[in-house]
Amino acid sequence: MSSPTPVARITPKETQARVAKSLRRRYWAERRFRFYGLAAVLLGIVFVVFLFGTIFFKGASSFRQSYIKVEVFYDPAIIAPNGGMPSAQDIANADYQAIIRTGLRKLFPQVEGRKDIRDLTRLVSGGAAFDLRDRVLHTAGLVGQTETQWLLASDDVDMLMKGHIERGTEAEPGPLNQNQVAWFDQLVKNDGLELRFNKTFFSHGDSREPEQAGVWGAVMGSLFTLALTLLLSFPIGVAAAIYLEEFAHKNRWTDLIEVNINNLAAVPSIVFGLLGLAVFIGFFGMPRSAPLVGALVLTLLTLPTIIIASRAALKGVPPSIREAALGMGASKIQMVTHHVLPLAMPGMLTGTIIGMARALGETAPLLMIGMVAFIVDVPKSVTDPATVLPVQVFLWSDSPERAFVERTSGAIIVLLGFLVVMNATAVVLRNKFERRW
Amino acid sequence: MDSSTVEQNRDAATAATSPDAGLNVKPSGRRAASMGEDSLTLKGEVQTVGTVTVENPLFHCKGVNVYYGEKHAIKHVSIDIGRGQVLAMIGPSGCGKSTFLRCLNRMNDTIPGARVDGAIILDGQDIHDRKQDVVQLRARVGMVFQKPNPFPKSIYENVAYGPRIHGLAADRVELDEIVHTSLRRAGLWEEVKDRLNHPGTSLSGGQQQRLCIARTIAVNPEVILMDEPCSALDPIATAKIEDLIDELRETYAIVIVTHSMQQAARVSQRTAYFHLGDLIEVGETDRIFTNPRHKLTEDYITGRFG
Repeated sequence: MSSPTPVARITPKETQARVAKSLRRRYWAERRFRFYGLAAVLLGIVFVVFLFGTIFFKGASSFRQSYIKVEVFYDPAIIAPNGGMPSAQDIANADYQAIIRTGLRKLFPQVEGRKDIRDLTRLVSGGAAFDLRDRVLHTAGLVGQTETQWLLASDDVDMLMKGHIERGTEAEPGPLNQNQVAWFDQLVKNDGLELRFNKTFFSHGDSREPEQAGVWGAVMGSLFTLALTLLLSFPIGVAAAIYLEEFAHKNRWTDLIEVNINNLAAVPSIVFGLLGLAVFIGFFGMPRSAPLVGALVLTLLTLPTIIIASRAALKGVPPSIREAALGMGASKIQMVTHHVLPLAMPGMLTGTIIGMARALGETAPLLMIGMVAFIVDVPKSVTDPATVLPVQVFLWSDSPERAFVERTSGAIIVLLGFLVVMNATAVVLRNKFERRW
Repeated sequence: MDSSTVEQNRDAATAATSPDAGLNVKPSGRRAASMGEDSLTLKGEVQTVGTVTVENPLFHCKGVNVYYGEKHAIKHVSIDIGRGQVLAMIGPSGCGKSTFLRCLNRMNDTIPGARVDGAIILDGQDIHDRKQDVVQLRARVGMVFQKPNPFPKSIYENVAYGPRIHGLAADRVELDEIVHTSLRRAGLWEEVKDRLNHPGTSLSGGQQQRLCIARTIAVNPEVILMDEPCSALDPIATAKIEDLIDELRETYAIVIVTHSMQQAARVSQRTAYFHLGDLIEVGETDRIFTNPRHKLTEDYITGRFG
């Protein structure tokens, strides 16, 4: 035989036939895989839409709040009962509840009797008196004047307005009795009751009364905690990663450190909380419930994430760039700061985003260090007692009042908004770094 | 592992690679034949054929060994590198020529597990001496790598980087001048003068390699090491780099590792042939390519293996 022996025992034609036969099976496998992938993605989208949908549906109403229109007469006889010009002391201590009561009785002159008047006054939130006081304190020359004010309604009125509670009957009254429901209807008919933008929700701290409770305290607490966490964990994490990746000699100790960093990333967060309680509060005597301690604990929590991501980013920088820099006579630290770090920065920022997002949502370790306390004041520094958004959600979700249900969802919306703003900032920053190269 | 085991292993490996009859013959007889020619190689090791020394050498290497962990990558290599000339290092893949090149500016320091011993003396100063700073050495012995590796910065910044970190320019005007001169000497100025602020990575492969050469000469070194600088380039770009090497030879000593024997023949004055970590033969390039004395050299340059 002079012709070369074919590799296979079959003719080229038979080969083609077999290839054609296997093609269908191969394409079918590919289609099947694509279908599975698509199904997985769709399932994920359905869950996200459902989650966001319910939260938004439940929480959107918390951004609006019922207010009652009342003609308020700043009666000098009430503000300064001893006569003469009212002093600042008088204005601060005056009985604004009485002013509101007088205003309400002007709307409902038919209401008589101590009990009915008390019920009528309860349509307005106890917080309205403080709002009036602040207004008189900060606006000169109001005493003796009459003006139309929209006063904060109580949570029950608000809930009835939004249709979240039953109107009740004579035999089975709801949270509002039948008189109150009748006054409510009259107010609505006369346009004296309105849903307006809920300023309180975005400017106040926590409160026992739902209509006076706001997320601002928690937002500021989260802001202080996260800013400090970022300030601590980013430089420490990046420095540790650079040292381990670029400077440390690879030996048993660095292996041990690497394994333990990976282990730390998997430690339950509540353990970090206990550690923070024992070390920062117990040993170093730092204040309880403070963003400072919260930030230290969250730093411990995010460090492994940032270190692992930063090391991966450093490993991703091509060795040729390092050689080029060293070959030019750059010292090791010049090589790192001039060439390696700028190239690794986008990856490091990605790791930091992931770490910070986790820190923002972290609740358990903060419970341990007292950030779960009921705190009304908006924190002004990192040592003021504070709470954070996820803990606020936790606190409100535990409260029995119906009005806290929508506020819980409202706080979740604010938390998600916070997260989106934070991540968007980081992504913009990262893209800016990437564009430079 | 003592040296005799190493020697046996080497012999076994050599025999396995190339079962030519003349291979295992110790070239001592040949050395005797090459009358009067000096050899720095140590006793009991593979004897290098040809002339390893030059008059007034810039680099004087004696008994250099490199180990990567257990692997003995360079074995007792002794060679001089002269001033104002191009030394080409040729040999099959994995023969240690790049490793030896990287010894000359201590780039092997950066490889974990790499160990270098023996004397590498640059102008009377051992480069492994404690008094020798590695940063200073690398400023003196520049390097161009196999793959063009410009920094991901502008063309200007690429060239200005070296002078800047070493503080060579007093002001912006001087720096501009260094960048201009370096790019001109690297034959790149006319092509990039209008886009100095474009990224260096936007250039073509050949231009990038010339940018790397410009970057190297901007720090005014005495020696330029080139590790297969044209292996990623097309013939036109290669020709440009070769012309450039020929020009640069007047100012700098150049050591070039290459896989192309034509290139070695075209650009170098001396050629060193490496084989499995041994320096087999050194000599004038013309002589090596016309009249190789060692069987291995002859086999390699006639294309019988490698």
